[in-house]
Amino acid sequence: MAKQLGFFLDVNRCLGCGTCIKACASANRLPTPLTWRKIWQKEDAKVDQGQISRFFLSTSCNHCANPECMRVCPSGAYAKRRDGIVLHYPDKCISCKSCVASCPFGAPQINPQTEKAGKCQLCYEEIDRGSLPHCVQACVTGAIQLREIYGNPTDKLLRLTAPTPTLRLTRPSTFYYPPKGTKIL
Amino acid sequence: MDFLHHHICPRNCYDSCSILSTTRNGRLVSIEGNPVQDYTRGKLCSKVMDEVQKVYSPHRVKYPLRQRKRYSGQWERISWEEALDTISQQILSIKENYGTTLPIAHNKYSGNFGVMHNALEAFMTGLGPTTRAVGSPCWSAGVDAQAFDFGAFFCSDPLDMEQAKLIWIWGANPAWNAVHQMPIIFRAMDKGAKVVCFDTHFTATAARVDQFVQVNPGTDGMLALGMAKILVDHHLLDPSLSEYSLGHKEFIDYLNREIDLKECSRITGVTLSTLEELALEYGAIKPACIWVGFGLQRYANGGQNLRAIDALGALTGNIGCPGGGVQYGQMETWRFSGPLSHARCGHPEDRNLDINQFPVLALEAEPPVKMLWLAGRNPLQQDGNQAQWQKFLEGLDLVVVSDLFQTRTTLAADLVLPVTTHYEHWDLNASYWHYYVGINEPAIEPVGEAHSDLQIAWDLSKRLNQLSSGSSAFPTGGSEKEVVLQALGTEMLEMLDLKSPEELLKGPLRVSFPATAWQERKFRTPSGKYEFYSEKAREQGLPALPVCRLPRKPHLEAPLRLLTPHHGSGLNSQSYRLDTEGSTAENKPPLLARLNPGTAGMYALKSGDRAVLWNHGGTLPVTIEIEQGIAAGVVIIYQENLSDIKAPHPNLLNLGALTDMGNYATGAYGLALNDTFVGIRKA
Repeated sequence: MAKQLGFFLDVNRCLGCGTCIKACASANRLPTPLTWRKIWQKEDAKVDQGQISRFFLSTSCNHCANPECMRVCPSGAYAKRRDGIVLHYPDKCISCKSCVASCPFGAPQINPQTEKAGKCQLCYEEIDRGSLPHCVQACVTGAIQLREIYGNPTDKLLRLTAPTPTLRLTRPSTFYYPPKGTKIL
Repeated sequence: MDFLHHHICPRNCYDSCSILSTTRNGRLVSIEGNPVQDYTRGKLCSKVMDEVQKVYSPHRVKYPLRQRKRYSGQWERISWEEALDTISQQILSIKENYGTTLPIAHNKYSGNFGVMHNALEAFMTGLGPTTRAVGSPCWSAGVDAQAFDFGAFFCSDPLDMEQAKLIWIWGANPAWNAVHQMPIIFRAMDKGAKVVCFDTHFTATAARVDQFVQVNPGTDGMLALGMAKILVDHHLLDPSLSEYSLGHKEFIDYLNREIDLKECSRITGVTLSTLEELALEYGAIKPACIWVGFGLQRYANGGQNLRAIDALGALTGNIGCPGGGVQYGQMETWRFSGPLSHARCGHPEDRNLDINQFPVLALEAEPPVKMLWLAGRNPLQQDGNQAQWQKFLEGLDLVVVSDLFQTRTTLAADLVLPVTTHYEHWDLNASYWHYYVGINEPAIEPVGEAHSDLQIAWDLSKRLNQLSSGSSAFPTGGSEKEVVLQALGTEMLEMLDLKSPEELLKGPLRVSFPATAWQERKFRTPSGKYEFYSEKAREQGLPALPVCRLPRKPHLEAPLRLLTPHHGSGLNSQSYRLDTEGSTAENKPPLLARLNPGTAGMYALKSGDRAVLWNHGGTLPVTIEIEQGIAAGVVIIYQENLSDIKAPHPNLLNLGALTDMGNYATGAYGLALNDTFVGIRKA
């Protein structure tokens, strides 16, 4: 693989405001309430120890190095580009939902209008014309960033992991800055 | 071919973003933030990301509608001619029966703050004296507090906050309600600034800053006075305090005489050591900026809360200091001129009723109010005094509502008039936070038969004069663009460094004020100094000094305080939900009521339980959510937009309590929304 584009999320800058979700849904003309990006709120409140950590994890397709969706798709509707983007081709999709069932991150979802699977395509048309994905463009604080993974040090970052440890093998291309909690006075 | 147009987001929001729209074949296709405006910086918030869908929403009101019977839902499409005839005849019959136009009432607020939206006020002024809603449900107590202290309500350019070394965000939640300020705060943090958030509950903003101080609701003034005493005790006062302030000796005497730190700690819920740590830090680090939100002044002691916080800034010399100050808001960039300007659209003999007591006062009014025109408002969901609203509406002969969508208020209307969005009309907008002013251009033709407020006012004036010559002094036609440009008079042009109003058509501009408010420390108070001792406050029947006033206590039967802050997904009832077609109250869970574990425990409630909140105003079904970081005895329901406009809403419980201040600068007291008390029981 020549390249691997991935999302870097500065969780200390994400407000959980949802602008990324709406920018994505609007640009990709998704029928409400379908969204390709979601925000998970994580909280670790230790009030007695004087700290609350509350984070908003904005995630979509993680464009895995070993995409499970692509492996299980019986119709060849998935492909991985040389820059690492995992693409889904709706015209080849047979609506079998194998990818929906197998993705450890719940990225592919059925579009109720087309009845085909769909997911974040990393706004590849934007990238091809030298621009950025709509979520990155819309983020007010610059918390969502798109970077080339192999050229960037990631040892100090947190790696996204799936709930099932063996599924780490998909090697998702999403990294989080280590979170800092708020001190409670 | 694509065309670009300039817009200003007109919502009642700090950010008043500059928007660029793209139209193709006469249709709006996309919007983005205008990169040249230094506050918006090319970004928009989540609330407007689906505006294109909103403009073309099938739910939008596109034609004048008449309801056969109020609340019946039996709507029929009528022509504009018929709508204007109904209104004109009502106006003329009121004049004939009462010999005055006072029974005609107009109640408008923040649906759209643009100059063009004052057209109806100006139209009514052309009829004669009418009944108006004055004041603000939002910020009045704080506006008065700053008017007493500084002589005017003014804040620094919000970009100035980037220079602060210490930022206290006090009772504000910009992560949800002023997102464009967050990058500025983050830039300050990147340069080493420490940021502390003071609030009644742990907010999305608190989650992104260094420290959080939980303050018992409404005790913010007490907390500030306690810290002021510590500053005095540790000689952390500005050496030139006597040169720029009036009454500091009396204030310091008051602190020494009346403020007991142990008492302060007990009441505010902030420990003595934290109190000291915060005060010493604030006294030592310069510049230190305090940003005061609207939350802490929505109490019966709200004005005093802000005066006490202002005093902290004045004692330490942070007022007038670049990167410092006590920032609340401003309207100094709103000096528009002409008949539609905010200051001049009223009639000198209008019967002005406090917007927060509107139905109460209107019910007592003589001659009675017989016709009500609501615009930019949804009072049946957003106001207190809901029972009085119902009673008041029953006595009216005609209720007209101008709006974009059906709301809880349109349910009670006789006529609903379709109005244009800011993509369909000319307008002129300023912000109550940043210093940019901009012209809003129409990008598309009005959708359906929507008319702008100005068009409605012209057409109605014309019809009235046809029916009864000389009955309306308002113009009967013209160019909307010209009217909007006329509002840029000599004073505004000077402030914007412009030779002609047309130059503003090129894009939004920043008013050429220095970035720091009160930098010269020349204040607009009677003494020209910062007034710890305010004679103007005394004249209003208030204490001359910022003093300790404790918040109202709950009654036994309604022991919990209900707070209803804004949610990140909407703005009051304005973020019209598009995802709810066909949904009903039955298949939507009730609103989430958030309590801390201790408070929930007292009522044996756990997360997911159904419960009912109640008081004299009514009952509200809720789902319990237990959350850390909420003050004891507090229930929080975020003002999320309800998918069902008929479902019970939190303001049923809002009994319309008033704030201590507001009458001096805004003409009416504020709404002490945060003094809403409720009981709770498991459902």
